[in-house]
Amino acid sequence: MRPPIKPIPPRQSQYGIDPALVKTRVCELPGMTSVLLKELFPDLPEVIYPGEGGVAAVRKATEEALQKIDMSKIKPEHSVNILASHHGFTLLGGEPYAEMLKTIKDVIETRTGCKDIRLRAGVGLRFRETEEYIKRYGLDQYFNGKAIGVAPIDQGIPIETEIGTLYGIRKIYDADWIVHAHNSDVREVHFHRQVDRAVKPFGMSYARIETRSTYHQNLGPRAANFTARAIFDSPFVQKKFAFASFLTVAPNGIIGVDADSDLYALNDRVTQIGCLYYGKMMTLFGEIDECIAALDFPCPVVYVFSAGVIYANFAGANTDLYDLDLPLPAYTWYTEAFYGKAGRPLLADIPPVNPAIKMCVHNYAWTGYPSAFFSEHIPTVVVGQEQADLFNRDPQNLTYMKHAVVAETTEAAMEFAYKVTGTRKVIIFDGAMGGINVSEPMAELLLKKAPAVSERVENELLPKWLRQRGVDR
Amino acid sequence: MKVVNLLAAVDAEKCRGCKTCEKVCPVLAIKVENRKAVVDAERCRGCAACEQRCPDYAITMVKREQPIVVKVDVDAVDYGQIEELCRRARLNPEQIICYCTATRAEEVAAAILQGARSPEEVSFLTGARTGCKVECIQPILRLLEAAGIKPEPPKDGWQWYGRTVTVWEIPEEVKRKYATRGFYFDEDIKLLDRVVSAPVQGRREPDASSH
Repeated sequence: MRPPIKPIPPRQSQYGIDPALVKTRVCELPGMTSVLLKELFPDLPEVIYPGEGGVAAVRKATEEALQKIDMSKIKPEHSVNILASHHGFTLLGGEPYAEMLKTIKDVIETRTGCKDIRLRAGVGLRFRETEEYIKRYGLDQYFNGKAIGVAPIDQGIPIETEIGTLYGIRKIYDADWIVHAHNSDVREVHFHRQVDRAVKPFGMSYARIETRSTYHQNLGPRAANFTARAIFDSPFVQKKFAFASFLTVAPNGIIGVDADSDLYALNDRVTQIGCLYYGKMMTLFGEIDECIAALDFPCPVVYVFSAGVIYANFAGANTDLYDLDLPLPAYTWYTEAFYGKAGRPLLADIPPVNPAIKMCVHNYAWTGYPSAFFSEHIPTVVVGQEQADLFNRDPQNLTYMKHAVVAETTEAAMEFAYKVTGTRKVIIFDGAMGGINVSEPMAELLLKKAPAVSERVENELLPKWLRQRGVDR
Repeated sequence: MKVVNLLAAVDAEKCRGCKTCEKVCPVLAIKVENRKAVVDAERCRGCAACEQRCPDYAITMVKREQPIVVKVDVDAVDYGQIEELCRRARLNPEQIICYCTATRAEEVAAAILQGARSPEEVSFLTGARTGCKVECIQPILRLLEAAGIKPEPPKDGWQWYGRTVTVWEIPEEVKRKYATRGFYFDEDIKLLDRVVSAPVQGRREPDASSH
């Protein structure tokens, strides 16, 4: 068996514990191994990062992708806001996304003579998060002091759309032009259901609370992402939109950079990547019959990664997240909202949280996302009192520890999990690049199941998923 | 219900009186007086919006010596009225509308039926909207509207701007235009209608033998 892959290291942040307190990573424990994603699915594309060229490969790919973009409408006296989202900075350590942002700035400046180029980086529910990344990657200096993090409670601006008034963040739109800088990582596919993924930040990272609440409360699980399309299609946004530049991502890494001034054309390409490659990983995860899930990544509980898939999607892997005929996955905020006071879903046909997850060992994960639903429904062991205390101070997680227990060490937590669950199958969400860190029995299971999953996705599921989204293969 | 165990504390040396904290506080618990931010400790719900947006990093969240439990007693209001208000707002009474505090529609409805007239008052009384601060404004506005209340956003504040569209209000031509692109509007209406009309779990039916 292959040795474990070095995971993404803990990161200094106000949303997590001091990295020095993370004394053991789960992948360092006895019995852990790794599986390369190419071993599971040989058809996965070649990646440019991670690779020998480092982030220089991302710069080169960005420059090449931007060659086809007509920037003639950007004049030297104009202002440009490059719009970023926090998720890009957690992808594979964050450097490739930061490098793409820097390259976009350099290319615009060189091609147009425009000097007033700003970075506006939106957040999720951790309002200082992109401020931390801006400092970490030197973006404040690179953008000559014009790099800021923006939050959904900042001053808003009304945007008239074909479904009525929605609201954006004023500082997102305070330039002559906007450039949408994002990535094709499917991330929380349970929310957007891979519908208009490339457009989503207009209803999320660039949007005010009213719009985000529309998405999560007013439209329903399969119509929700129309809020983003409505905003993007509005005359106000269209007159400012210059182009989009995306890191294209597969579960095994960054496969290139795609840029287009037609966001919907880019969106269709992103949909194919998302459905084909991530679809295979998620379907494979749905084949896991029993396991211990270990969280060990610098992100909130829901967003910790394994093979490009986040824990929240693993918690819904018992449902086909891509099949729009299924009204609700096992986890979205809609699903969570529909559990009544007796602890049962309000409708009998709401699927349960993935029953294959017998226990969750929370070795390292951040606050800043309401996560009590997970500890309430999945037996959870948190490593270290410091993390427990951090969660008890988080206004978004005041009841997370009400449902979880604390272990002193990683070793003790895993021993407890092995004894209680009776399984030795472990899957680790630690952001390992190019592969997945697991226990040996789990590696054997994944390698055994992958070929049939690959065939099923290509022949049966993918045509349906693409047809539902109006995308031709 | 929310347990409030934190309190915003201002470092007067760092505060420059910019009023950002005042504009983002969901319960109007912090105000700039004489160019310095001042916290109303009784009113603060420990959400950290001010701490997270202060451009001068002048606010920290400190642990309260005595946590406050914020809760509206649903049993103090006729449940028939609560149900009626929730379902008019197209929400199930037991539907969670604030994920951070697990506040259900019924508690917000009870707050409104007991006199809350704005999102700020609802948040002050129930704790809803004092976790992530982001996701629960719309159902609160929908419940207020269903009760015939038209609140005005706080003057010059960024607390909220307005109610937005629901799936029931999407124009038919929009549905037709995007029918092939994966937006399942009508199917989601069917799902949400079933949720709205689902029976509540937390209340026992009257015992037939007692009649």
